[in-house]
Amino acid sequence: MVKQTITLGQLVHSRSGDKGNHVNIALICHKKEWLPLLQKTITPEILANWFEGWSDGPFEVFPVAGVGAVNCMIHNVLQGGGTVAKRLDAQGKAIGQVVLDAEIVIDSKLAKEVGFLIPVSQ
Amino acid sequence: MSAEKGTRIGGAGGFWGDQTMAPIQLLEEGDLQYLTMDYLSEVTMSIMHKQLKRNKKAGWATDLQDWLIAGGITLLHSSGVKLVTNAGGANPLSCASMVLAAAAKIGWNDCQIALVLGDDISEKLGSFAEDGHQFKHMFDAGQGSLLDHSDAVISANAYLGAGPIGRALERGADIVITGRVADASLIVGCLLHSNGWAKRAEQQDLPLCGPIADWHNGTKAQALDIIAGWTVAGHLIECGAQVSGGNSSDWMDLKNLENVGYPIAEIFSDGTSIISKPKHSSGAVTCRTVSEQLLYEIGDPTAYITPDCVVDLSNTTLQQVGANQVLVSASKGFEQTKTLKISASHKDGWMVAAELLVPGPNARKKAEHVDEILRSRLMHLRKMDIHAEFLGAQALTPPGLRNMMLEPSEIVIRWTATSENKNDLSEFSRSIAPLVLTGPAGICGYSARTRPREILRFFPTILERNLIEQHVQIKQIQSRRHQMESKRPWLGEWVFDPLENIVETNKGRIKTRVAGRILDKLSKPEEVREHG
Repeated sequence: MVKQTITLGQLVHSRSGDKGNHVNIALICHKKEWLPLLQKTITPEILANWFEGWSDGPFEVFPVAGVGAVNCMIHNVLQGGGTVAKRLDAQGKAIGQVVLDAEIVIDSKLAKEVGFLIPVSQ
Repeated sequence: MSAEKGTRIGGAGGFWGDQTMAPIQLLEEGDLQYLTMDYLSEVTMSIMHKQLKRNKKAGWATDLQDWLIAGGITLLHSSGVKLVTNAGGANPLSCASMVLAAAAKIGWNDCQIALVLGDDISEKLGSFAEDGHQFKHMFDAGQGSLLDHSDAVISANAYLGAGPIGRALERGADIVITGRVADASLIVGCLLHSNGWAKRAEQQDLPLCGPIADWHNGTKAQALDIIAGWTVAGHLIECGAQVSGGNSSDWMDLKNLENVGYPIAEIFSDGTSIISKPKHSSGAVTCRTVSEQLLYEIGDPTAYITPDCVVDLSNTTLQQVGANQVLVSASKGFEQTKTLKISASHKDGWMVAAELLVPGPNARKKAEHVDEILRSRLMHLRKMDIHAEFLGAQALTPPGLRNMMLEPSEIVIRWTATSENKNDLSEFSRSIAPLVLTGPAGICGYSARTRPREILRFFPTILERNLIEQHVQIKQIQSRRHQMESKRPWLGEWVFDPLENIVETNKGRIKTRVAGRILDKLSKPEEVREHG
């Protein structure tokens, strides 16, 4: 597989929020057709790597075909939830934005198939 | 979507503390039939219950009073727009008293206010426990049962659905004040009224708590898909401007959020809807802004559970059909759950936070050193737990994504300490300022000694739906004759008319004279305003 590295923000826009002690991160493709590429890239394993030290999981990734998105559920990540969390971002509102800078590795062939063109610079 | 004109509903706020005057903009420009205001987040109910325990007339969303008095009540009266809000929080009755006072002040003497009650089950926890109900934590078995904390329980409220709101509006309510009704159900309740479902339910004597799918004249599957569509529309506008440009990843392209428009949903009888915003507002309603809100605080997108139905929004589609107009369709609905979610909270020790600013060079190393000094000085407080964050050094970034090679020019250290012992935290607070003179060079930014606050731990659980007795009460201002006869003249023109007091429960309808009981809970208008 020929691989390329991009930032997640080149592929998606996002929003995050809390559900009790969990955080959900919606990653929505800039173009709906790119969803297969996103689904191949964002897996429970990659979330486990990102959140190691904050959460032991479970980590779930749900496809949302209607709007071309995946919804990531990070369980038990808010130190007990909004009212008891010690972190300043007690409701996980910032997480969705900061992950946009994450470098991700994509499959070039699949990127071409779904019409994802690597931006020259961002 | 057909050529029909839909029901126009405004979503004028996302939480207690949102821009207070947003409802005025929507009332003036929205061409609305209903205005909805969601004031309650997961944590709000526990805060309101705490306020209520200190003051029996507090415990509701005081922002409502601010915009009603600033002209909102006059706009509601002149436009005929119906207001549906969960501003009642932990104390819907006191909230309704305030609203009636505001109506009386502008001479809106036939203003009818409906209260939706029954969500507060805190007093009944004991008897439910005797019947064997466990109140286990919804998500985390390790948290045990709410009953383990029964001495420390602050609040326990069921998330009620749309049924009682539909019934209240059908009975002619101008304003509906609720406690813990689910956010999206505020909107679904309006639609039960405008689409004739509530009328049908009343004619067929169906219980006000639903299932509302039975209130439709089509098949159950059709009804559930419609309710799902309405619920999605409700979900989209219940966080105010978060769907219309607020909190958007596209903030760089918007650049005009100072006058961001709050959302309007035109919602159709088939479950589809068009999300838009007032003409003379800024912000944006695009597939991008709407899709972000569609998935906000959603878990499994194929099973978004509300009191009214279970929604599958994984195939919900969005389509830009005009400038700042997005058509929402294809949501799928499934039967309501047998249980309702209970939002409870209990006391769980104390918390305090403090901050200091640490300059470079070597800001990270210096901040780590300051943190070590503080921890060593407080080591004897064994019950205290301290968490440190280095703001400016990727504190918000999940650990696995941090680039430790980046050296920030300065760092704000933010410590949060918890303990079951309040005095530990006072000692913690006293130990921050001395670091300025006794730590490494250049530390500044100390503001003031912070006070510990009591922790209210949110505890979600469930209870069988049929055990929760829901009520609708209609109230209006007392007639002039009644006032004259009143032995308590200071109650003036805003006492509820006892003859108009209809009490309805999901077990049947009773007309009752409960004015005496309610009068006892009323206060002078001045006293109510004090807590505004």
